[in-house]
Amino acid sequence: MKSLSQVSANSVWKIAALAILVWGASATATAQTARIQTSSLDHLAAKASESVDVNIDESLMQLAAKVFNSKDPDEAKVKHLVSGLKGIYVKVFEFEKEGEYVVADLESIRSQLRGPGWNKIVNVRSKKEGSVDVYLMTSGSQVLGLAVLAVDAKEIAVVNILGNIDLERLSALEGQFGVPDLSIEKPKRKN
Amino acid sequence: MIKRMVSIGMLALACLCIPCSPVQAKDDNFSDAVKVIERFYRVKHKGIPFLARAGMKTVVTAARIAGGPKRRLAEVGSVKVAYFEDQDFSSGNGVVGFRAAINAALGATWTPLIQVSSPKDGEQVYIFLRDAGEKFNVLLITIERRDASVIQVTLSPSTLAKLLKDPDEMGRAISEEATSDE
Repeated sequence: MKSLSQVSANSVWKIAALAILVWGASATATAQTARIQTSSLDHLAAKASESVDVNIDESLMQLAAKVFNSKDPDEAKVKHLVSGLKGIYVKVFEFEKEGEYVVADLESIRSQLRGPGWNKIVNVRSKKEGSVDVYLMTSGSQVLGLAVLAVDAKEIAVVNILGNIDLERLSALEGQFGVPDLSIEKPKRKN
Repeated sequence: MIKRMVSIGMLALACLCIPCSPVQAKDDNFSDAVKVIERFYRVKHKGIPFLARAGMKTVVTAARIAGGPKRRLAEVGSVKVAYFEDQDFSSGNGVVGFRAAINAALGATWTPLIQVSSPKDGEQVYIFLRDAGEKFNVLLITIERRDASVIQVTLSPSTLAKLLKDPDEMGRAISEEATSDE
């Protein structure tokens, strides 16, 4: 028969294990919520003149942050840029002519961005034609991720960056790590 | 734009592996990838060491990009190459079908880094990654109208990170070197 102390010890371990599981599950859920699912767009690849799909997950982001040399000024900038990022996911479709996609094709993306946690950043300016909408997901004061939906008559671009990201970093990432040129004007710094 | 970036990024990867001898696929998912292409397009691969035809200029460029011959060799592990030459890649049920097939074949063990397709031009590029201890395996698949290739290389983290950051810059240097008469 188990002694009271043994029972208590077992209970404590079980509770601790449960707590770790719950914490792990909630942490995973938090990390996943900023990820936009874009597979509903995949059928457009057949109509597109060109389609690009980029997936840089957390392990690759960590790798990039780790291997760039802090002592090299250029590499230090990149290291700083990617530190705190947990993933970059990009999907771009370019069409030869207008009318190759319909508004409904984008609804699955837009409905996710209407979900809890996502807020559209107003006053984002882009030199690109069409619309460039930028959404930020936050939890309290913590930024969980960012999503960009750039659409014009002949192009759809969905950029989803997980982790600590802001407009300035997004602008700096353009042309690197698979992030396309979104022509987002850098936000002015407050004095 | 990105397609070009990816294509020349692949060229960069391929060139970094020139010192290694191309070998036939016999193990892991490399041969799976080759088989997917063969089944989907009803073609047969050849064991042609196409990189051997690349010439010294490209080797020199690869060395420069990697920071010198010694460093380049240190960063490169092994390479496997399968080449499909002058065959018809317009058959099959299109880009979407092939993308699904190759992802299904490799998805369990490889991470799809970049996938680019241009149905009109008949071009497809796929780059998959896999953790290989302290290094990374990179599987590159290119398909054009009449040719295709499957290349597997082992890269150091630093080389991979540079490619992640800016494949365009690395690729442009190779491109310029390969087309120059120097």
